[in-house]
Order: sequence, then C-alpha cells, then structure tokens
Amino acid sequence: MVKFLKPNKAVIVLQGRFAGRKAVIVRSFDEGTRDRPYGHCLVAGIGKYPKKVIRKDSAKKTAKKSRVKAFIKLVNYSHIMPTRYTLDVDLKDVVTLDALQSRDKKVTAAKETKARFEERFKTGKNRWFFSKLRYDSNVIRLSLIKSWVKQEKSEERVQTVGGLQ
Amino acid sequence: MVAGKKTKKTHESINNRLALVMKSGKYTLGYKTILRSLRNSKGKLIIISNNCLPLRKSEIEYYAMLAKVGVHHFNGNNVDLGTACGKYFRVSCLSIIDPGDSDIIKTLPGEQ
Repeated sequence: MVKFLKPNKAVIVLQGRFAGRKAVIVRSFDEGTRDRPYGHCLVAGIGKYPKKVIRKDSAKKTAKKSRVKAFIKLVNYSHIMPTRYTLDVDLKDVVTLDALQSRDKKVTAAKETKARFEERFKTGKNRWFFSKLRYDSNVIRLSLIKSWVKQEKSEERVQTVGGLQ
Repeated sequence: MVAGKKTKKTHESINNRLALVMKSGKYTLGYKTILRSLRNSKGKLIIISNNCLPLRKSEIEYYAMLAKVGVHHFNGNNVDLGTACGKYFRVSCLSIIDPGDSDIIKTLPGEQ
C-alpha cells in the first residue's frame, strides 16, 4: 500500500520508440490531467546508452564512449515497469511540462538532462541505470519483463550466496 | 507434518473469507486492474491462482513487493478461484481493495 511511482524512481519503458530503455520519473500525475485522463508520469530516460569503456582507451575515446543521449517523455503508467532502483539526479528544474511544449525547449531540456546524466555516469555510481537491459524478441513487453525478472532472480541468488559467505 | 490436514481447513476458511469480501467489500478481478490498484496504492491484498502464467505471477509479485502488499497464492486454479469469488468465469488474480467485514487481510499474509 506504499506508493512507489514517485519522483527519482528508475523505471523501464515498455512501449513506444524507447521501449527497453531505462528512465527516471521526474514528475508523476497519479490522477491524470484533462488531456490525459489516466495516470502518467514525466520521465527522463536514456536514448543511447554510454558504450563500454576499457582500460586501454585514450582520453579522447573515453570521452566519446561516455556520451549519453537523453529523452524526455510523458508516459502512461501501464507502459512502464517500475524497478526497485532509484536515481537521485535533480532534474526537476530542467524537465518540466513546459519543456515539452515546443521542439526547441525540448531539445534544450534534453541537452541539459544529457549533461547531468553524463556527469552521474562518470562518477561511476548508479551503474545499473546506465547499463543496457539485454532482451531479445519482437514481442518487447513480455521479453523485457522476462529479462527483468531473470535479472532480479539472479541478483537475489547472488545476494543470498553473498549472505551465506 | 500436520500441514496436510491443516490445508483443507484453512482453505475452506479462505473461501469463506473471500465470499465475505465479495459480499461486503471492494475488490477487482483481473491482471490489468490489479496492477492499476497496486500503482495507486489502493490494493491491500493480492490473490493469485496456482495456474497463473509464471511471468505474470512474477510481475505481480514484483509490483506487490514494491508496494509492500501481501500476495497470497491461492490453493487452486483459476476456475476454483472464480468459483470461490462466486463468479461464473475464471479468475487468475484478484486484488482486495477494501475487505469490508472480512478479516482476510489480517489473517492471510501471516499464514504465508
């Protein structure tokens, strides 16, 4: 009975162009609005994940590989899969409903989000958020949930093994 | 173990409690609506039949874990659960929003 679709919650987008991408809830509208009479939320997500950086990469290459492309979107609750992770990046001032009104505003907001995401990625925290969720299938929603469940179960197993040690 | 004998008795009591919820409380039946009830934190107990699709079961359990809501695995398939709800259709999963006069929420999650 705890509300869990709150700001800073990491979610996985299940439908649309960004299906399979991880995102973070910036603002949630539980009751909906006049335009969208259903529960939905404003999310900021990763359009293009940063690539894997290896030790022998030069500084220039590391910089290029660590780039993140961000997206801002209003998504229906039933098109996202909530996770137990959170991402504490302050995006409230940047990602607003107002930013979605026009393309220019959206682009600037996305650029700012991208900058904040890259900054967070470079610190090495929230590694889960910046890693791609591996899934395979044309039926995206089910396979996403399946791969998600598999990941959670294997994490659980790792945790219990760690506990036994 | 006494568990074998016990399950028959408690199973009947679950059915009784469910019947009371159907009569006096609020509930929703079906996967989509229970996810909705979990999202807006109205659901208080989830009951899943034993032949619910395993991926769907995992998903519902995950949502319930996030919402800190108990999940009860009904000892019967969706046909039985539908009958227990007094419906003439199959029910794979249901969510209790308001138990009414029943004490199902107090007694069930402890039994798990």
